[in-house]
Amino acid sequence: MITHAPKAAGYVAAALLVLFPLVYSAGNYDFVMHLWITAFYYAILASSWALLAGYGGQFSFAHLAFMALGAYGAGILDNYVVLTSLPTGTCTEFGILGTNIVLLPPSGTGDAAACLTAARATWPEGATVSRFPLLLQIAFGAIVGGGAGWLIGTLVLRLRAAYLALFTVGLSEILRAVLSAEIWLTRGQAGMPMSPLFPDGVTILGTSYGPAAKLPAYYVMLALFLGTLALLLWVARSRIGLFLRSLREDEDAAEALGVNTVKWKRAVFVLTAAIAATAGAVQGHYVGLITPNTIVLLQMSLVIAMAVIGGLENVVAAAVGAILISFALEFLRTDFTILGFEIDMTTWRLVFFGLLLMLTLRFLRNGVIQGALMWIERRGVGAETVAKRRAAEEAK
Amino acid sequence: MITLEVKDIRKKFGNHQVLKGVSFRIEGPELVGLIGPNGAGKTTLTNVLDGAIKPDGGTIRLNGKRIDPLHPYEIARAGLGRTFQVTRAFRRMTVLENLYVPAMAMDARVNRREMEERANEILAFLTIDHLRNEYGRALSGGQQKLLELGRLLMLDPDIYILDEPFAGVHPSLMATIYKWIERVNGEGKAIILISHQMESIFTLCRRLLVLNFGDLIADGPPATVKNDPAVIDAYLGVEEDMSGTGLLTQEATHA
Repeated sequence: MITHAPKAAGYVAAALLVLFPLVYSAGNYDFVMHLWITAFYYAILASSWALLAGYGGQFSFAHLAFMALGAYGAGILDNYVVLTSLPTGTCTEFGILGTNIVLLPPSGTGDAAACLTAARATWPEGATVSRFPLLLQIAFGAIVGGGAGWLIGTLVLRLRAAYLALFTVGLSEILRAVLSAEIWLTRGQAGMPMSPLFPDGVTILGTSYGPAAKLPAYYVMLALFLGTLALLLWVARSRIGLFLRSLREDEDAAEALGVNTVKWKRAVFVLTAAIAATAGAVQGHYVGLITPNTIVLLQMSLVIAMAVIGGLENVVAAAVGAILISFALEFLRTDFTILGFEIDMTTWRLVFFGLLLMLTLRFLRNGVIQGALMWIERRGVGAETVAKRRAAEEAK
Repeated sequence: MITLEVKDIRKKFGNHQVLKGVSFRIEGPELVGLIGPNGAGKTTLTNVLDGAIKPDGGTIRLNGKRIDPLHPYEIARAGLGRTFQVTRAFRRMTVLENLYVPAMAMDARVNRREMEERANEILAFLTIDHLRNEYGRALSGGQQKLLELGRLLMLDPDIYILDEPFAGVHPSLMATIYKWIERVNGEGKAIILISHQMESIFTLCRRLLVLNFGDLIADGPPATVKNDPAVIDAYLGVEEDMSGTGLLTQEATHA
C-alpha cells in the first residue's frame, strides 16, 4: 500500500494547487500568487533539466539559454509583428485571409511602431490592431528553443561530462553577450518589453480579471507545469526513459545492445529545450520583460541546485525541490539577530542555500525528495533479495 | 544459416598497424576461440566487428549483408552482440531494467509480459534471479558478468562475441557460464570466445583463431593449432610449455 502513497500524494497536491487561488484569503494575495507562479516556472525548468541531466546524463548548462531563446523568440513576434484589419501602406506587410500581417522594423530602443502609428492616424474608426496571437508566439518560441536544442544536441554528441558542461557554459555566455549586443533587435541590457498574457483581461467563470491580475497567470503557469510534468513522467517511464538511463550509465554498452544513442540524445535535448523555451515565453509575458541577465550562470546554477536538492533522477522530485527552494529563498529574506550579530539575509541567504546544496551532495546524493521516494518505493527490495535466495537455497 | 564473413580487415592507430588484413569465415553454430598474446589485436578486432571502430579497409558480412559501414546499434540489431572485457552493467538501473534495454531496443512494441517472463527465466538460468530488483552496482564482479550474458540473451543475436567472460570469475559461477555457452550454442547460435584461459578455450572450442601482431597466424581445430610451429613460436612460447605442464594436463582433466 505504502508504495502507492507518493502517487496519491501527487494527485492530492495537484488538486490543492488548482483550488489554492480560489480559497486563499490570508493577506498579500498578489504577492503569494506571484511566488507560486515563479515557483512553477522554476519547477518546469528544474524538472525538464532533470530529464536531460538526471536521466540522459547530459549535464548541460545551456538550459536557461534555451529558455531565453523561447522568450526572445516570442518577444520578437510580440514586438515586431502586429495584425491589422487595414493595410498601413507604409510598413512592410502582407495580407492573408483579410488580415494584414505588419512587420515593424526593429529599431532598438527607438519606436518600432512609428509607421503603424502614422497609418493609424488616417484610419477610420473601428479599424483594429492586435498583437501576434499569443499561442503562436509561444509555439514559435518553443520551435526556436527546440531547434537550438537539436543543434546543441548534435554539437555535443561526442562530448562527455566536464567537456559538455564547459561547452554549454561557453555557449550560454555567448548567447548572453549576443542578446546584450544586438540592441537593434533585443534592446540589449534594457530588456525587451512583452505584452501581458491577457492584454485585454480575461473572464473566468463570470469573474473578470484585468491584465495585471495574478489568478489567470497562476492557472496558465500551473497548467503548463502540470502538463510538463505529465509529459516528462510519461517519457521517463516509457522505453525512452530506459534508453536515456542506459546511455547515461554507459553509452558504448547501450549502443552495443541496439540502442540508437545519437537519436535519443538529440531527442532529449530537443524535448527539454522546447519545454524550457515554452516556459521562457510564458514567463516573459507574465513578467512583461525579458533581459539577457536572466541567463547568467548564477541563475543556471540555481536551477541545477533545485534539481539536485530535490533529486536529479526523478522529475517530480526535481519539481518539488524547485518549488520548496524558490519559497525558501523568499522566506530567507527576513533578517534576524543572533548573539548580537545582525544577519543581513539579502546577502546571507545564498550562503545558507549553498550550505544546503553541499550537505545534500555529501549526505543525500539522490536528493532530499527523491531519497524519500526511493526509501518508500524500494523498501521491500532488500528483503525480497534475501527471501528469494533463502528459498532457492532451501530448494537445493 | 548464420554466416559471418570477415575479409581483409585492416586497422591502423597512428603508425601502429593493429590489424594487418584479417580474414576468416564462420558458418553455422560454430564455437570459435579467438586467442593471441596481449596486444595481438583481439579487442580491436571485436570493436571493428561490432562497429565501435571503423576499419581502414576490408569488409564484414553478416548473413550476406554488409555490416562494416553500419553504426554499432544497427549491427547489434542485425544480429551481432558482444560483451566487454571490463564489465559494463548499467550500474544505476535494476537488474531487470538492464535486461529490458536490449529487448525494447530490438522491438519497440515488445509485449511487456512476455519480456518480463523471458527476463525472469534468463535470470533464473543465470542463478541471479533473487537480485532482479537490485541495482547493477549492488552485484559482485562475477554476477555483473552474468548480467551482461543475460542482457545479450535478451538481444538474442546470431553471433555472440564474448570478450574474456571468465576473467575474475569464481569457479562456481564459471560452471554457470559454461552452461550458458552450451545453451546459446545449442540454440544454433555462433559464439566467438576471447579468453586468456587456455583451459576453457581448449575445452569449449572446436576451432581456434590465433592472432599475433595483427596477423591471423592460425585457423583450425585446437589439436592442429596447438602443434602449429608458428603458434608455438608466437604465442604459446617455448615448446616445452606445450608438452610438459599446463595446457595438456589441464585439458586432460576436463576431458
